[in-house]
Amino acid sequence: MRQEATGFSAAVAGSRRVPGRAGWLLLLPLVLWALAFVVAPAVIMLVYSFLERGTLAGVVWSFTLQNYAGVFDPVYLQIVIRSIIYAGITTAICLAAGYPVAYLIGRAEERWRNLLLMAVMVPFWTSFLIRTYAWVTILKSEGLLNSLLMQFQLISEPLQMLYTPGAVVIGLVYTFLPFMILPIYSSVEKLEGSLIEAALDLGAGPVRAFSRVIVPLTSPGIAAGVLLVFVPALGIYAVNDILGGGRVDMIGNIIENQFKGNARNWPFGAALGTTLLVGFSVIYWYVNRRQRALMV
Amino acid sequence: MKRNPSLTLALLGALASLVLAAPALADEELNLFAWSEYIPQSVLDGFTKETDIQVNYETYASNEEMLAKLLSGAASYDLIQPSEYTIEALVKEKQLLPLDHKKLSNLKNIGKEYWNQPHDPKLAYSVPYMQGTVGIVVNTAKIKEPVTGYGDVFQPKYKGRIVVLDDALEIVTWALVANGLGQNDVTKTNLEKIRPTLAKWLPLVKVYDSDSPKTALLNGDVDLGVVWSGEAAILINEQPGKFSYTLPKEGAHMFIDNLAIPKGAENVDAAHQFINYILRPDVSMQISKEFPYTNPNVEARKLLTPAERANPASYPPGNPKLSTFRDIGPMAADVDKLFTDMKAKSGK
Amino acid sequence: MQLVRRLFATWTGFVFLFFYLPIAVLVLFSFNESRLNIVWTGFTFDWYAKLFEDRVLVKTLKNSLIVATFTTAISVMLGTIGAWLLYRYRYKASSFLETLVFMPMIVPEVILGVSLLILFVTLGIKLGYTTIVISHVTFCFPFVMAAVQARLSGLDPALEEAALDLGATPAQAFTKVLVPYLMPAIVSGALMSFTLSLDELIVTYFTASAGTRTLPLEIFGRVKKGLDPSLNAISTVFILVTVLAVFLTEGLRRRNA
Repeated sequence: MRQEATGFSAAVAGSRRVPGRAGWLLLLPLVLWALAFVVAPAVIMLVYSFLERGTLAGVVWSFTLQNYAGVFDPVYLQIVIRSIIYAGITTAICLAAGYPVAYLIGRAEERWRNLLLMAVMVPFWTSFLIRTYAWVTILKSEGLLNSLLMQFQLISEPLQMLYTPGAVVIGLVYTFLPFMILPIYSSVEKLEGSLIEAALDLGAGPVRAFSRVIVPLTSPGIAAGVLLVFVPALGIYAVNDILGGGRVDMIGNIIENQFKGNARNWPFGAALGTTLLVGFSVIYWYVNRRQRALMV
Repeated sequence: MKRNPSLTLALLGALASLVLAAPALADEELNLFAWSEYIPQSVLDGFTKETDIQVNYETYASNEEMLAKLLSGAASYDLIQPSEYTIEALVKEKQLLPLDHKKLSNLKNIGKEYWNQPHDPKLAYSVPYMQGTVGIVVNTAKIKEPVTGYGDVFQPKYKGRIVVLDDALEIVTWALVANGLGQNDVTKTNLEKIRPTLAKWLPLVKVYDSDSPKTALLNGDVDLGVVWSGEAAILINEQPGKFSYTLPKEGAHMFIDNLAIPKGAENVDAAHQFINYILRPDVSMQISKEFPYTNPNVEARKLLTPAERANPASYPPGNPKLSTFRDIGPMAADVDKLFTDMKAKSGK
Repeated sequence: MQLVRRLFATWTGFVFLFFYLPIAVLVLFSFNESRLNIVWTGFTFDWYAKLFEDRVLVKTLKNSLIVATFTTAISVMLGTIGAWLLYRYRYKASSFLETLVFMPMIVPEVILGVSLLILFVTLGIKLGYTTIVISHVTFCFPFVMAAVQARLSGLDPALEEAALDLGATPAQAFTKVLVPYLMPAIVSGALMSFTLSLDELIVTYFTASAGTRTLPLEIFGRVKKGLDPSLNAISTVFILVTVLAVFLTEGLRRRNA
């Protein structure tokens, strides 16, 4: 029994541990779940991506590669690139804006921490649609922001804020900021205060203490945050639709169109989704392995 | 090593009991699958009160969403509410049950012009629910010049002031018609012919919105647009005198939303009862009040107020002859691709 | 460092302002007279009164809460155990299993929804609470797992050894030493999971049935008609109730601590 328990130290020391019988028993639910609700649907989608479009909806069981040809068509490629740019900008802003917040909450006294976390999450327990339409009310020509600016005579004509790429970025950052803050908070929270003090004692200024000590130590949180923001941001379709006036189509919109719009082209949607999935699984797996190697 | 097992069991037990305690089945049920916010709750409640049949109202936001769920076989629906071109496709694929006109005594209330539409000439499979058009709405407080056609709307001077539907098929047909081509002549050649038109039009658009285009117009972010007649009618009702609605002179079309019974329906009798109930003038009138589209029920129209009858978006003056969309089959994918391409190239 | 703290505190203040601005607007407009909820026309409590009559809206809120609670509970269990198992047993397939588990977070919601629908139909599972919860858990528990994993990576193994040396059984070491250590990550993961489930729209559309509509579905359905202020009202009520609940639990916790 003690042997099993000290698996912790063994694991951290980097040795490979193969699960014993008890281990497998616990692992089983996880594996079954993954098989049933992750692998199976993914396989279904993969299969669909090679089929032909049905007349009403769904598919016709005849093999074709034309869907994947479509994925790499310049028409859709330009949208893929645009999505990556928006997702990238959003992630960068979320990281810059969210890190200080996560740090503050993580280093706060115990009694404030949970309250602050709640304060971060509570806005997101309101309906997403209503929140986004609230932004419309704020950003529109006769909206709150413009009215305020005009009131204080800072501008003479209303600014065109809504239905612009800027509005879309604001909306995206608003949607994803908590998903950057929470993982980083988790990492910050377990930082040893003594480490930081030691760095400062040894003559490092706050900037150096940060860049050389704190940020690297919180890198798992940062990595998690980046992943949790960048990837879902690629699949977003509603925020940019509402705040961008339907002019800023991203991959999410294209895929949605295939299933819920005029196109009625499930196999093409499946091909787009599968490509996205494969692309990011590969990147994630690679980054994951590098992270693990670095940790040992 | 496990977490508290009794907690797990308790939770699983709770979950199981929730699942098993599914809503107790009332006497009879009707599974209605319709557009969201298109059937007032009062109408549904009225039906249940009269017939004791419980209505389970599930909704969708597009014909394609409906098809996805319907054809997956996940649930059996007794009534669906497709648009006319979808009815055409469903009939072709033999997915609808023929209606028993003997059970629909109120069917005679439907106007003559709806009896000979290409998608269902004898109303053998469907009954019209609401009809509408797509036309030009103008904020006359801001724009004084006449705007009577697509050519008038898409002028450089209106750049950044236009709202249009976010619908590939709609916009493509407008371009076809504006170029003198038939609205249902969706062929690869024609699509290429209208590419320059789309390249000219789309950069002028400020907002694409099929769900609630009236929002941008009310906000003052746009001053004119090409939208659903129902949306325009609501604008005209909310702010009388400020908005106008015109059918484009190059050519306009109408759409008809219908009730139909899908192949796997279980409660066919209840479905017929519901359709007949909807066809009653007093019930149909209630629907018109909430959704001021064009009511195909001529008896119901008689019950509307003069102001409602005069709303040009609900009842376009002159009673023009309009045609509907046909099912374009696989060309839908090409239409979507062209629209996506031109939309992407037209802005950031 | 004090300067840095001050700077961060000010910045956090701005961020919270950013977070709550739309919420303030949302609450304000719940008192708006105009049904169309776009321009402010006057003050009224009518919409709150309407809430009591709107059985459909209240029912969908209840459904959302039920689903979110179950989803979070199951996600926390699966996510914590999963993270711990993957941490402890590292063999060749473990990074593969991990990637697999995280896939639902990457897949666009439409695809996840459609493929799960097809899966349920093939397996003959009837749509309802079960299917919704399963779909939600599928993309929620990776969040818990990610949070717990990040925290586990900094675990000092000596901690557990010390507990065992002092006579604890492995089970006790788990519950009394490990779980408390993991609590912040579990809490943060649970929060994310609850939030995601509460607001989930697309996947739910495909896996719900007429009797189990959730609040987001209902609200989305009303967009065409216009998002009237009663939706703002229900959101405001919900925030108030949540904030109250949080203060209560915090108060109780401090009492017992």
